[in-house]
Amino acid sequence: MSFMPEPPRRERAAPPSLGHEAAVAGIAVAVAALVAWGWALGFHLGNAHNGLIAASWTAVGLYVVRMRPRHREGWLFVTIGAAHAVMFFGRQYGLHDGPLPAASWLGWIGVWPLPVVIAVVGWSLMAFPDGILPSTAWRPVVWSMFAIATAMAAVSALWPVDYLRVGIGAPYPLHLAGRGTAESLWGAAQACYFLFQLVWTVALVIRIRRARGDEVRQLRWLVAAVLLDIGVLVTGLVLFGSPEPGLLALPVIPLACGAAILKRRLYDIDPVINRALVVGVMFALVTAGYAAIVLGVGSMVPAPTTALSLLATAVVAVAFEPLRREAQRLADRLVYGHRPTPYEALAQMAAEAELGPDDILDRAAATMARTVGATEVVLWSGPERQLEVVGAWPRRPAPAETVSLSDLADRGLHLRLVSHQGTMHGVISLRKPAGEVLTATEGKVLTDLVSQTGLVVVQLQQASDLRAAARRIVTAEDAARRRIERDLHDGAQHRLVTLGLELGAVSEHARAIGDPDLAERVADARAQLLQATAELRELARGLHPSVLVDAGLAVALATLADRSSVPVRLDVDLAERPAAEIEATAYFVVSEALTNAARHAQAKVVTVSISLTTTGSLDVRVSDDGIGCARVERVGGLQGLSDRLAALGARLEVTSKPGSGTTIRAVLPCG
Amino acid sequence: MVADDAVLFREGMARILAEIGFEVTGQARDGSALVDLVAADPPDVVITDLRMPPGFANEGIEAASRIRALAPRVGVVLLSQYVEVHHALRLMEDFSGGVGYLLKDRVSDLGAFAADVRRVATGDVVIDPELVARLVRRRRERDPLDALSERERDVLALMARGLSNAALADELFVSAKTIEGYVRSIFTKLDLAPGEREHRRVLAVLQFLRRE
Repeated sequence: MSFMPEPPRRERAAPPSLGHEAAVAGIAVAVAALVAWGWALGFHLGNAHNGLIAASWTAVGLYVVRMRPRHREGWLFVTIGAAHAVMFFGRQYGLHDGPLPAASWLGWIGVWPLPVVIAVVGWSLMAFPDGILPSTAWRPVVWSMFAIATAMAAVSALWPVDYLRVGIGAPYPLHLAGRGTAESLWGAAQACYFLFQLVWTVALVIRIRRARGDEVRQLRWLVAAVLLDIGVLVTGLVLFGSPEPGLLALPVIPLACGAAILKRRLYDIDPVINRALVVGVMFALVTAGYAAIVLGVGSMVPAPTTALSLLATAVVAVAFEPLRREAQRLADRLVYGHRPTPYEALAQMAAEAELGPDDILDRAAATMARTVGATEVVLWSGPERQLEVVGAWPRRPAPAETVSLSDLADRGLHLRLVSHQGTMHGVISLRKPAGEVLTATEGKVLTDLVSQTGLVVVQLQQASDLRAAARRIVTAEDAARRRIERDLHDGAQHRLVTLGLELGAVSEHARAIGDPDLAERVADARAQLLQATAELRELARGLHPSVLVDAGLAVALATLADRSSVPVRLDVDLAERPAAEIEATAYFVVSEALTNAARHAQAKVVTVSISLTTTGSLDVRVSDDGIGCARVERVGGLQGLSDRLAALGARLEVTSKPGSGTTIRAVLPCG
Repeated sequence: MVADDAVLFREGMARILAEIGFEVTGQARDGSALVDLVAADPPDVVITDLRMPPGFANEGIEAASRIRALAPRVGVVLLSQYVEVHHALRLMEDFSGGVGYLLKDRVSDLGAFAADVRRVATGDVVIDPELVARLVRRRRERDPLDALSERERDVLALMARGLSNAALADELFVSAKTIEGYVRSIFTKLDLAPGEREHRRVLAVLQFLRRE
């Protein structure tokens, strides 16, 4: 199973309704009032965390439901926060030094709902991050949890079983018989809290194992916050013998959850966990190693403590780096999951090359990113000062401007040069998550991948150079044709016309001097000459019609239509003139297609339509209503144009069915 | 007055025009030189190449426009290696008569060429027969020319070449009255509005012939 990180995305919520906004505001004001009034009544360390929980859970919950009005997890948070607000206020009231009116009842309200509120917390953890349980199989579990919690709350409401722990000064308002039974029941029931914890821990672990993509990160935020709080709790218990630091630190959990639910900086969690794992593991290892040497060795061998300390320091110093590498590998594996092995990566790259040239470089970038755990991989092609993007992961539209190698070096990226036969052809840039380095193994496999990708970059570059060269050849051929046409026009054609003029004059003269025989022969010669000039004219015109250059494709095609023996419908829709070689090619295609339609198709009418496609190609279409069954090979003149079309990267399609005419279509990329 | 960038042709034509009774008052090698010559001493008619320096495109038509603005009574004959319909249409649209558009080859038939030049000099329109023949020859989807008799088609082709009714009568050896009958019949059958002036009539006929 390979893991492909998805780039973080923001979701857009519909504007919430007025009623919803009013509810959010109402809850916010009520909770704020309860908490503020509660604080105003005095400070009690044992109850302070309830005030913090009320404020933080409510704030995060309300923020979430304001962004996503129907978000169930958000409403669960609001419920937890509001319940804590009520309990906090009740306890503050009941804990007040001086007697306050109705203090026993309000204090009472601050105590007994706790089991149910804890059940809601459990539910919200099991349903994190979307408010929906991992599966419907969990519903009975949640129901049972609530049933037990409700029973516990009932006991706590009827008998003062939890009063001693909380230390409420106001007297308990009820006096029912059976207090002893209730207290023994309560003692057993408290074990259910551990059961609750077990249940939601199991649910969370299952969810983490099944999660993919963004949800993994959301759950990691929650786990990180919970672990952090447990760390504080343990530290507090060890150092001060009090759970209060851990309880007071609880607000980090709703804050982390809120960020995770709204996917704010979702991916920043990975390096944090990674770092924390490495530091934690190293701390534990170094402490254990030091203790083992100083205490363990010290108890077996009599040696001065200073020497043992020195020895321990030396051992730690020597073993530190290899251990750190192992710890890092372990952390990488836990945080980033499985990465392709060098062999897998190379095999995948080769398999992808088989798929064809479309976005091959984007896919190569993705493979590299997966293999070395980079957050961004960009393939640049070109000389050192003019590098342009040819492939990227995550995919993105290539920017128009080029950059230089030194620009890239300044951006703090890992760079690998793409060279072929000693010439630099491009660069591959990688961005690793903040604080991560490129390991030696990653570096090695990257080198192999770069050399493979480099070959592709070089090949694509050469292909593009070839295309440009082919285009230049077409342009050069057009220029040569124009030059020959001009030369004929200015040279041979003029001479022949002048000769005709002379022959005309001689013929007139012969008639004038009374030599009809000579006049006849000269007139004959003149007629033959005119035939020759007509043929030469058509030849020159076919080489490169001057009207194409002077007046553009539309007018040039109209002159073709004027000369066509088959009626031609013209539909030319061009906002601007395409490049000269494109115009000329379109003209030749239409010319050949018209000739073909006139000669073989027995067409009654030919429709020529020229338009620009949305991708900026020139779409040339010539359809006739003739007998059909034409094929490219049989459309002789078009076959002759195939090299020219191929050089321009154009496609030529001939569709023809007996009885329904022939359509010849050429799509000429203008770029 | 003659303008052409090919010296040989220009001098040959000037000499032969002089031989058949024209007075050649000036020669130019490009359009702007021709306009200068016309400005200095306007002739009855100029004969100019269509493609000349500097661009070898439509310099002849540009020069003709400037000459028409400068000296409206000077007839302009444009000669070209190719005759194209769009040029003819442009000339008919831009010039109200006194203009000719001919293949260069036409000059070798001295008699006909001299007649065409004289007609342009007197304000008539002359369009190359090859261009008109090409349009008349064209097949069309539903050919309205099928409605015309053979004689009427001949008359239509000659009208497209710029011949007036009187010239048509001479050409076809019939009376002016007969010609008027043919012309009326053609315009009715083709549903054309006859223009008052000849260039309008030529324009209408050329545009009609060019339709699919």
